[in-house]
Amino acid sequence: MFRVELLANSSSHATPGYTYVADRGFDPAKAAMAPALGRKRGIHNAGKGGDISSRRANAIIRHLAELDRENQRDVQIPVPARPAKEAGARVSRTKTTSNVRRILVSQKTFRNHLDDEEAAIAAGGGGLSIPVGAAAAAPVIPSRAKAVVAAAAASRRSSTPASTAAARKKRPSTVAAATATSTPTPAPSQPETTDAEVEDDTAEPKHKLIKTEHDNDPLLRSYAPTMPSERIMDRLLAEPALSYNASRAGPPISTQLPRAFCCMCGYWGKIRCKSCHLRTCGLDCYKVHEDSRCGAFF
Amino acid sequence: MVTTKSRTSTKAAKNSPDVPARHLPNKTFVIDNGAYTMKAGYACDPSSSPDEALSNCISIPNAIVKTRDNRIWTGTQLGSHVTDWNEAVFRRPVEKGYVVNWEAEREIWDQTFFEEKATARNKQLRIAHPEETTLVLTEAPNNLPVLQRNTDEMVMEEWGFGGPTLNAWNEVHSLFGDPLTTDSDIMPKDCLLVVDSGYSHTTVTPVYKGQPIQRAIRRLDVGGKLLTNYLKEIVSMRQYNMVDETYIMNEVKEAVCFVSNDFKSDMERTWKANRKREEAQSVVVDYVLPDPNAHKTGFMRPHDPLLHAKKKKGALSGLSAEVLSEDVLVLGNERFTVPELLFTPSDIGMQQAGIPDMILQSLSVLPPGLHAAFLANVLVVGGNSCITGFMERLENDLRGIASSECVVRVRRAEDPLRFTWLGGSRFASNREELGKLAITREEYQEYGSGWAGRRFAGMI
Repeated sequence: MFRVELLANSSSHATPGYTYVADRGFDPAKAAMAPALGRKRGIHNAGKGGDISSRRANAIIRHLAELDRENQRDVQIPVPARPAKEAGARVSRTKTTSNVRRILVSQKTFRNHLDDEEAAIAAGGGGLSIPVGAAAAAPVIPSRAKAVVAAAAASRRSSTPASTAAARKKRPSTVAAATATSTPTPAPSQPETTDAEVEDDTAEPKHKLIKTEHDNDPLLRSYAPTMPSERIMDRLLAEPALSYNASRAGPPISTQLPRAFCCMCGYWGKIRCKSCHLRTCGLDCYKVHEDSRCGAFF
Repeated sequence: MVTTKSRTSTKAAKNSPDVPARHLPNKTFVIDNGAYTMKAGYACDPSSSPDEALSNCISIPNAIVKTRDNRIWTGTQLGSHVTDWNEAVFRRPVEKGYVVNWEAEREIWDQTFFEEKATARNKQLRIAHPEETTLVLTEAPNNLPVLQRNTDEMVMEEWGFGGPTLNAWNEVHSLFGDPLTTDSDIMPKDCLLVVDSGYSHTTVTPVYKGQPIQRAIRRLDVGGKLLTNYLKEIVSMRQYNMVDETYIMNEVKEAVCFVSNDFKSDMERTWKANRKREEAQSVVVDYVLPDPNAHKTGFMRPHDPLLHAKKKKGALSGLSAEVLSEDVLVLGNERFTVPELLFTPSDIGMQQAGIPDMILQSLSVLPPGLHAAFLANVLVVGGNSCITGFMERLENDLRGIASSECVVRVRRAEDPLRFTWLGGSRFASNREELGKLAITREEYQEYGSGWAGRRFAGMI
């Protein structure tokens, strides 16, 4: 298939109005911003967006793009012209550099910039943010099936009921300390954790566990994932940022069917129009729909 | 991004002649440049209370507006000059949460911060000498490198802020919003999960010891703008044509919408066959649209099912002329199906997870040992969190899908709109950290914008 690729070189200039984008087929994430999909291409890609038909998918994409608009109509609002005296005063203050001039003249929208970036990433160069593959990969449900308790939270929780008074006592002092010195979070965290440990020690005798012979039963042992080491955390924190598209939230985890609503009144959409597949709640709404709105769009 | 200590020290050693020459101006100006409003003001000294600090912070609409009579207003003028919001159209320099159009943004900033005549009314926002001021500018996560570079260049070259300019590549509120959540039971310490639901999108940012974990930042493309547009669309379809009335519908949304904690039963209560019953009355409301000619603003009132019939009778029904002339929107299920999009975007066919699911997705790429700690410290900021019922719903849903062993606590910042700014102000008052992150004008002129970009990304 014919395909144009933009080679990343330093002399390529950002030109407003158009941009080369590597064509990688139908990408719903991108398509949300580009509603102008060809009709036939949409049909060819039928079935990619779950069980909804491609026409329906396109209608949704168009709808979302519409909801994303700032104004209903496309309007150009010029920056108000200012009196020459004021403008002159500003010029004298700073000299406009070429960079600034270029940025000010640029009429690119976010969409243009995003396309540029995608092209850059696809060309292999990327900007500053090269997506980390692992992060964008399939989301896993964290801790729903497995009983997962972090060690830190467990200790915190166990200390809560018994030592609320202590915590209450502690809080104003830490607040005061934080506001007085206004040190960053990392700094006070060290003493605070030791505080908590000390409290745990003092609070422990109050709610002692009843000892049984099953305590050492491997089947009854609770599993608590350990806190990651400093080294892992440092590495996590040092990771570069994801790209714009990689940081988008994925599809929902739940397997429930999406709810359908009446297109007229917003109540549950119980029946579906036989010609346009929009839903209505009952015959009242259906009649109105059929008489005036059913255009059999898709 | 906060560089680790070892790195900064090596860097300091490398450029040791530069270090003593590095001069941080005393004044720090903080701008939280949101898409809808920007929150700006001088940072306070560290000893002042949050309330004092917030008194310095002013919200300014970040838009250029053309009103019905074809006049154009900018930023601060909107509050004082515009009374007729019908058919007002907006130009916003911030798109999707990032500054895209600097032509418009420069105009707004100039009007708000720099020009003597324009800033005469609120002097506390005036930046008289940018060369002697440090600027802390916040930015939404996962910005495009091009736009970051543009921002750096504009800030340094057009206004020439003298001091270290922090292009807060990571939202500053993630960095330093934490010490302030004194309303929660236990001080969030190491782990904090920030949910920021704003005008253009909703993001989830896990913050570990004041630094965001980049790989786990997730974004849902539903924000206040989409909600307003959706409400506008529904109302235009069912009642009046409000297609051009973005501003008014935004006010309607703020007044009327709530997040339902029991979607099904609320839906039944607003069904048109149930409308006349007593129980529906608690949900269905009337919103009286503003009438700029009579200088009346819009307001909400309980639904009157007989109003329509009374109006038909006209003067015979004993209604005053005022009531007869007003336009009323009847809002039933619109009130809660619109904000519902934040929790189930699939209602409009969007293939994205709602906020609670998104939080779990974000946690799924983190070590399991941290999950419980993050779930116990969820902080919500941003305008959408002001919608009634938002917090309860988020906590309930999160409780439902999180592991039963975890404690789930969701807290809203005291001032969700300006909390980010406050975080920035606190950050700015901590000069040591600021010095670590910021770059100075001399450095910028020495190394250029490419270097600045890499430095803010934590690569140098």
